[in-house]
Amino acid sequence: MKRIKIIIIFSIVAVAGSIIIVACKKSFLNQTNTFGLPPDAVASTKDNVIKAVNAIYDTYQNSDLLKKCIWYRANFGTHDFFNWGADVFWNNYQIPSTFVGLNTLWNQFYIGIARANYALPVVAKAKENGVVDAALADRLAGEAYFLRGTMYYYLAACFGGVPLELQTGSNGLAPRSSRDSVFQQVVLDMQQAETLLWSKTELPAVELGRATKGAAYAYEGAARMWLKDYEGALAAFNNQELTANYHLLPNFVDVNEYDHQNNDESLFEIQFYLKPGDPQDWGGSWQPPGGELGWIDSFSWPNEITQQGYDYGNPALWNSYQQGDKRKLLTIVGPGDELRSPGIIAKWGGVKGYPPVVAGFASGNQTYTADDGTIINTVGTLTRPWYGDDKGRTGYVCAKKWRDPNLTGNYNGPDGKGHIFGDQNQILMRYAEVILSRAECKVRTNDIPGAMADLKLVRDRAWGGTAPAVMQDSADYKGNPGQPITDPLQMVLSEYRHELSGEYSTFFDLCRAGTDVAVEFINRVNGAVQGSYNPVPNPAPGPTHDGLKHGLYNTAITPNWTLLPIPQSARAANPNLTQNDGY
Amino acid sequence: MKKTRFIKNHVINKASLMLLLLLSLSSQLFAQNKTVIGKVVANENDSALAGVSIRVKGTNTGTFTKNDGSFSISAPENGVLLISGVGYVNQEVSVKGTTSVTVRLVSDVQNLQQVVVIGYGTQKRKDVTGSISSVTAAQIEKIPVTTLDQALQGRAAGVQIVNNDASPGGNVSVLIRGIGSIAPGGNQPLYVVDGYPTTGGINNINPNDIATIDVLKDASATAIYGIRAANGVVIITTKKGLKNKMQVSLDVYDAIQTEPKKYDLLNAQQFAALSNEVEASDSTGTYHGLPIWHTPEALHTVDWQDAVYRRGLTQNYSIGIRGGGDKVQTAMSFGYYDQKGIVIGSFFKRYSLNLNLDYQATSWLKSSTSVKYSYQDANNPLGTGPGLFQLAINPPTLDSGSRLTYQIKDANGNYGFYNPLNPNVNKFNNPVYSVETNQYQNVTNYVLATSSLEATLYDGLRIKTNFGANVNNFSSFYLQPEDTRAAQQYPGSVTTPANYHQTINRTFEWLWENTISYDHTFGLHTINFVGGISAQKNTWTGMGGGGIPSSNLTRDLSNVTNLVLDPNIPGTNTGNGQNVYTLASQFARLTYQFADKYMITGTLRRDGSSKFDTGHKYGTFPSAAVAWRIKNESFLKAVSWLYDLKIRGGYGEVGNESPIGLFQYQALYVGNRPSNVNGGINNDNMGYPFNKIYQNGVGPGQPANPALKWETDKQTDIGIDAAFLNGALTFTADWFNRDSKDFLLQLTAPAQTGFLTLTRNVGSMNNKGVELSANYRGGSGKDFQYGIGVTWTTIKNKLTSITSGTDFVQNLGGLILNGFQGWDDFTRSYVGRPVGEFYGYQAIGIYQSQKQIDDLNANAPEGIYRPGTVALPGDRYFADLNGDHKVDDEDRTHIGNPQPKFFGGLNLDANYRAWDINLYFYGSYGSKILNYVESNLESFAKRGSEGADNVSVEYYQNHWTPTNPSNRYARALPNGGDNSSLNNVPSSVWIEDGSFLKLKNLSIGYTVPANLLSRFSITRLRVYVSSQNLFTITKYSGLDPEIGMQGGSATQNGVDNGTYPSSRYFTFGLNVTF
Repeated sequence: MKRIKIIIIFSIVAVAGSIIIVACKKSFLNQTNTFGLPPDAVASTKDNVIKAVNAIYDTYQNSDLLKKCIWYRANFGTHDFFNWGADVFWNNYQIPSTFVGLNTLWNQFYIGIARANYALPVVAKAKENGVVDAALADRLAGEAYFLRGTMYYYLAACFGGVPLELQTGSNGLAPRSSRDSVFQQVVLDMQQAETLLWSKTELPAVELGRATKGAAYAYEGAARMWLKDYEGALAAFNNQELTANYHLLPNFVDVNEYDHQNNDESLFEIQFYLKPGDPQDWGGSWQPPGGELGWIDSFSWPNEITQQGYDYGNPALWNSYQQGDKRKLLTIVGPGDELRSPGIIAKWGGVKGYPPVVAGFASGNQTYTADDGTIINTVGTLTRPWYGDDKGRTGYVCAKKWRDPNLTGNYNGPDGKGHIFGDQNQILMRYAEVILSRAECKVRTNDIPGAMADLKLVRDRAWGGTAPAVMQDSADYKGNPGQPITDPLQMVLSEYRHELSGEYSTFFDLCRAGTDVAVEFINRVNGAVQGSYNPVPNPAPGPTHDGLKHGLYNTAITPNWTLLPIPQSARAANPNLTQNDGY
Repeated sequence: MKKTRFIKNHVINKASLMLLLLLSLSSQLFAQNKTVIGKVVANENDSALAGVSIRVKGTNTGTFTKNDGSFSISAPENGVLLISGVGYVNQEVSVKGTTSVTVRLVSDVQNLQQVVVIGYGTQKRKDVTGSISSVTAAQIEKIPVTTLDQALQGRAAGVQIVNNDASPGGNVSVLIRGIGSIAPGGNQPLYVVDGYPTTGGINNINPNDIATIDVLKDASATAIYGIRAANGVVIITTKKGLKNKMQVSLDVYDAIQTEPKKYDLLNAQQFAALSNEVEASDSTGTYHGLPIWHTPEALHTVDWQDAVYRRGLTQNYSIGIRGGGDKVQTAMSFGYYDQKGIVIGSFFKRYSLNLNLDYQATSWLKSSTSVKYSYQDANNPLGTGPGLFQLAINPPTLDSGSRLTYQIKDANGNYGFYNPLNPNVNKFNNPVYSVETNQYQNVTNYVLATSSLEATLYDGLRIKTNFGANVNNFSSFYLQPEDTRAAQQYPGSVTTPANYHQTINRTFEWLWENTISYDHTFGLHTINFVGGISAQKNTWTGMGGGGIPSSNLTRDLSNVTNLVLDPNIPGTNTGNGQNVYTLASQFARLTYQFADKYMITGTLRRDGSSKFDTGHKYGTFPSAAVAWRIKNESFLKAVSWLYDLKIRGGYGEVGNESPIGLFQYQALYVGNRPSNVNGGINNDNMGYPFNKIYQNGVGPGQPANPALKWETDKQTDIGIDAAFLNGALTFTADWFNRDSKDFLLQLTAPAQTGFLTLTRNVGSMNNKGVELSANYRGGSGKDFQYGIGVTWTTIKNKLTSITSGTDFVQNLGGLILNGFQGWDDFTRSYVGRPVGEFYGYQAIGIYQSQKQIDDLNANAPEGIYRPGTVALPGDRYFADLNGDHKVDDEDRTHIGNPQPKFFGGLNLDANYRAWDINLYFYGSYGSKILNYVESNLESFAKRGSEGADNVSVEYYQNHWTPTNPSNRYARALPNGGDNSSLNNVPSSVWIEDGSFLKLKNLSIGYTVPANLLSRFSITRLRVYVSSQNLFTITKYSGLDPEIGMQGGSATQNGVDNGTYPSSRYFTFGLNVTF
C-alpha cells in the first residue's frame, strides 16, 4: 500500500509539475490575433499598400455623407431644392446640432483623413523597401494627400475652421483651426498631390476614378479662392493638367448621364458599383458605410414614381432659367415637363414607362393620366401637378438625379424586384465648375473680357450653340420677367446656380464668393423673408399657383447660417471644439 | 412502523415555554431518570441529522445522534433536552410525560458553524475574516427562478440583482458592491461553479441542483481570484451525495404567468380624431392623414398589445437521486425547464443533467468529479425594448391596408398589413405576421466538467490536481420567407426579400489547477495554508452569414444568393474564425488563528493574461484581513445575551480585465473584404470600385496601445458579525470603500483620432457603501417556527477621474433610442458625480402664447431663444441654465440618477405544523427612470422617419391646444414635426421616480403528514402554491419600475425603452422525497 501511495503521489506531483511548464512558458500568454492585418503586413506587399489607399476613397462612398450633408447643403442652402420628410428643418435653416447627417459628415471625413495619415507612412516605407516602385508609390502618396485635402475642403466649406489632424496617433482633442488655415492646408496637400499624382493621360482606364494632377489643381484653385488668392487660383486653373486633359462635353445632357460616367469633363467622381448578381433592393449591398450602392438618386424622384420624393425643386429655379437654356429641364422638371434623359427615354420611354404609372393608369388613377386622357408622360400635369401624397411638395423635381435607367424606386421593376439602390457615380468636381471659378477669378482680378470668355464657353454649351449675349433670368421667384444681369460677379453667380444646381457645389461656390455675397444672392433670387419659417404659396403664376402651401419655403438665410453647427456628438467627444455662432 | 413521530398538538407561546422550563428545572431535583429515545430531522426536508449534540439541560449528560438521526439519552422525568447541530438553530425540548421525541431542527443560514466556500478551500463562518454572504438551497427552493442569479436577489446584502427585463431565460444584471466599470458587461462577477471559474453561461445551470451560493464581496475575500475578482466572486456548489443515505427527490412546478400591465392607448376612432385635429392645425399645410381617417366611425381598431401579449406557462421538472456508501457518494439529477413567455414567440427551454461523484479511494486519496450538461433553446423574436414598444406606437388601425382583412390576423389566416404606399403608415409592420411566419432556432449545448484528485501526504498536508473543461456550442438560424402580400395587391410595390441567416460558434476551454494545502492546529494556534498554480485556455471559433434563400424551405447557405458573411459574429466583436485567450496564475493564502479569538488572513495572486502586451501581462493582487472574535475574550464570555461578536477588517487589491476584448493593445488594419460585406464603420469593407471594377481596401481598425493594462480595485472593508439569543438572531454589518482605478473602456473617441471608439484605461471610480443583514429564527417548540431576514444596502458611487480629455463619459453600450433629437446623448457620467446620470434639458412647461415666445426671442442674442427650431405656442419651454438668454447644448444638465439610494429584501418564513408560508419583498428606493417610452407616447409624429404614431390616452386628453392650455403635454405635431419642434428631446419631463417595493414571492406549502405517506415509501411530500410579483408599490407610470442596465452598461441604466415587462406568476408545485 505504501508503495502505491508513493506512486500516486509521485504521479500527482509530476502532473502538477507539467502544468508549471505549460503555464509558465512565455508563449502560453502570447497569442496571435488571426483577425485583421498587423501594420507591418500592410507595408510589406504592393497589393496591401494599394488597398490602404483605396480605403481612403471608400470613406466617400456613403449615401448619408454625400446626400444628407454635402448635397443638402449645396442645394438646400441655396433654396434651389427643399427637403421632404424628417429633415425639413433644412428648409428654414433650423438645423439642429444633433442632426445625424452632421455626425456622418464630421466622423466620416475625419476617419478618411486618418486613413490618409496612416497610409502616407505605409506608402513611404513600402517605397523605401522597394515593395512598390517609385512611380506607383508617388501616385499613391499623391492620392492620400489629394483625398485628405478634399476632405478638409468640404469640412471647412461646411463648418468653417476645423481641427487640423496631419499625423497618426492623434488624441483628437485639438481645437478648431481658423478656416483660412484649413484652406491653406488644402492648398499644401494639393500642391504635394500635384507633384506626385499621375496625369489623367497616364492613368489606365481601369483606374478611372483615382485622383489626377488635374483634379488636384482644381481643388487647389478652389481653396485659394476661399483664401481670396485669386491670382494663385487662376494659376492653378490655367495649369495644363487641367486645360489640356479635361474638356466640356459637347452636349450638356451627357454630363450627368448614366452611360457617361467618368467622362472627360469629370475631375473627381465618387464611384459606385453594382456587383453582378447583387440585388438593388433592400437585400443588396447598400448599407453605409461600405455600401457599393447608394439611395442617392431615387431619393429625389417624385413620390408618385417612387414613394420617395424626399427632396424637390423650387419653382423659382425653374422660372429663372433663361429662354433656350437646355440645362433647365436637365436640372429641374415640373408640371407638364417630359424627362430629357436619353437613358431614361431609351429604357422607359420617359415617365410613362415606370411601373406605378403603367399600373396606375390601367386602374384609372388620375395621378397617372395626362390631361388629354392618355397615359401620363410628364412629371405631373398642368392641371394636376405632382405634389406628392401629402400635397406637401412643390411639384418640381431634380432631373439631374434622375438618370439611372436601372432604378424603379420603391416599386418592383419588370423583373419583380425592387431597384431602389443605384450605382451611379456622384461627380463632386467637373471641368465646367473650374471654368466658372476661373471666370470669377478673372472678375476679381479685373480681367472682365477673360471672364466673359469663360462664361461664354459654359453658356454656349448650355444652349448647344451660341448663348444669347445678354444674360437674364426668364422670370424671378414671383414670375416677373427677369432683368439683364450686367454685373460680372453676379453673372458668374447666376451661372454657378444654373450650371451646378442639383450637384454638389452651388452653395459652397456662392459662399466662397463671400458670406455677404451669398446671403444677398440667395435671399434676392428667392424673395426670402426674415422670420418666415413656414411654407408659403407659390407667388409665381403657373400650374402650381393655387394659393395653397406646397412645401415652398422663403426663409431668409443669415450670415451665421452659412455655416453648419458643429455636431453635438463631436463637441461631446472633444470639449475644445467651440460652436458656431447662431447655434 | 416502530419509529413513531411525535407531533406536538398545541402551540406553546414564549411565556408558557418559560413556565415549562421553570417547572422542569424545579421538578428535576426530585425526579427519577428515564430513557428518552428520539430522532432529529431537518425541518425543511425531514432528512435525518447525524452528529447532532443532545444534552440534558443543567447536567453534563450528553450524546450525539447516529447516522439515522436517532439517539437515546437518560433524562430526568421533567428534563429539558438542549439540541444543537451544525448549521441549525439550537432548540430546547421538554421530555415531561414522554419517552420518545422527534425534533425538527430549523436551518440557520448565518449559523456560525456553517461551512463557507472561500475559493480553493472552505472555512467555518465564525472564522471568516472577509465579507461573504451565503444563500442555501432551502432559500432558492422558495422561488421558482430560471437562473440562479435571480435567486440571489435581495438575499445577499451588497449584491444588487436587477431583472433587466422579464424575458424567458432571464436577463439579469448582478452588481456586487456598486459599479466599478463603465464598460458594457464590465461589472459582471466571476462565477466559480464547483471549483471552475467562469464568466458566463450561468443560465445553463439548473437552480434545483444548487446546494449553496457563497458571494465573496470584499477584496480580502476575492483576491484569491486576482485579475477577475474586482466585481466579486459568486461561488456555486451543487448538491452532492450523502454518506450511507439514499434520497430520491422530485421537484415539480407549473406556473401560469398573467398578461402584463398594458399602456392605455387610443383606439382607431380617437386616433383618427387626433389625426384630423393635427391636420387642421398644421401650419405647414403638408399633413394629410389617410383618407379613411377622415371618417373615424368607419375604422376598425386593432389592439397590438392584446395581439402580442399572452398568458405564459412555465413547467419545471427536476428529479434527483443522491446517496452513497462510505467510499462512494453520488448525486445525479435531471432537469427540464420549459417557459413559454408572455410575448408571442418567446420561450426558454432547458434540459439539464448533473452528476457529482465523490470517491474516497483510501484514507488518503480522494477524487471528486462533477459533470454538467445542458441543452438550451430560447428565442424572443420581438426582443426587449424597441420591438415591444413599437406595439404601443403602431397606428391602431389597419384599414386601407390589406384588402383581405383589416384584422391583425383573421380566421382564415390572413394577416393584415399597413398600406404600403401611404407615408403615414408604410413604415409600420405587423409583428404578429413576422413572429408567426419566420423560423428561428438558438440552441446551446453546454458541458462543464471538473475532476480532481487529492492526496493527503501527511497529517494536514494535501496536494490536489484539478482539471476542468467547459464546452459551449451555439447554433442558430433565422429564416424569413419572402413577403409578397403587399406587392400582390399594390402592383409594383416592393417585395420584402427572403432572408436566411445562420451562425455557429463554439467555445472550448480547459482549466488546470494544482494546489497544495496544509492545515494544522497546535495548542491554541491554527494555521491554514493553500497555494497553487492555475492555467486556463479558451478557444473560440465562430462563423455566421446570410443571404437570400432559394426557397422558403431551404436553409442552406451554399444555396443562398448574395451571401454576406458577418463582419462580427452576433454577440461577439470577432469575425469568422478563431480566437485564443489564455490565463496563467499563481496564488497562495495563509490563515492564522489564535485561541479562536484572533484571525489573520493574507492572500496573494499573480495573474497573467494574454489580453495585454508584454510588460503588462502580469498583475499581482495582494490582500490581508484581520478579525477579532471579541466574544471569546474573558470580559465578554459571561455576557449571556451576546452569543457571538466579531469585528473584521480587510484591505485588498483585485483586478478586472473583462471589459475589453482580445488584442486591444495591438494596432490592426481591417477591411480587405469583398464588395458586399457591410458592417459598422470600423468594419467597413474599405474597398472601392474604380470605373466599376472593385478593388479591395484595408484601413486602420485600431491603433496600438501597448500601455493598456488591467483595472485595479482597491477595497477596504470593515465589518461586524454579531449573534444574540443563542444564535437565533444574527446581525452582520459591513462598511466598504472601493476605488476602481484605471478602469478599461472602449470609449467613444473624438472622430479626429480617426476612430469612433478607442480602448483605453480611462479613469477611476469610487464606491462607498454600507450593507446590513439580520436574520432571526424563532419558534415555539416543534410546531411553530418562523424566520425573518432582512438585507439592506446603500452605495454611493462617484466617478473620480477621466483621462480621455473630457470630464464626462457619454452613454455607451449600443442602446439606440430612435430620433434625431439628441437621443444618442441621454446620460453623461461626470467626474465627481455618479455613473450613468441622465442628462438633458430642464423643462419649465409649455409656451402658452406667441407673446411669451416673442419676448424670449427679443432677448436672445441671435433673435432665437431656442436655435434649431421655430417655436410656437404649445411647444415645450426649456430653462436657460447658463443665463445667456438662449437654450442650446450648453443648457443641458444632470436630470436624475438611475442608481438607488438603497435597496434590500425582506424575507418572512413561518411553519405551523404541516403548513409553511414564505413572503419575500424586494425594494429599491431613490432611483430615477428615464421614461423613453413615454416620450414616444406623447408624440403623434413617428420619430426618426415618417409616419403617424399612436399616443397614450392621457396625452390625447391633455395635450396642449389653444383651448386646453396644458403646461405639461406639448401640442400634437404631424410627420417630421417631432424632429423640428424639439419638444421631445431628452429632458426632465421624462424622468420619474423609480422606487418600488415588490412582493416578489408569496408561497404557501403543506407537507403531508409522514404517516400517510409511509406506505408509498415517501419520506416527504410538500405541495405548494405561490405567486411571484403579486403586487408592486410604485409611483412609476410605466409598466415596470424594475429596469436594469441595458446591455450590461452602467451608462444606460434605468432607461425604459419598452423592456419586456414582468407580470404575476401563479405557481403550483410539489417537492417529493423518497
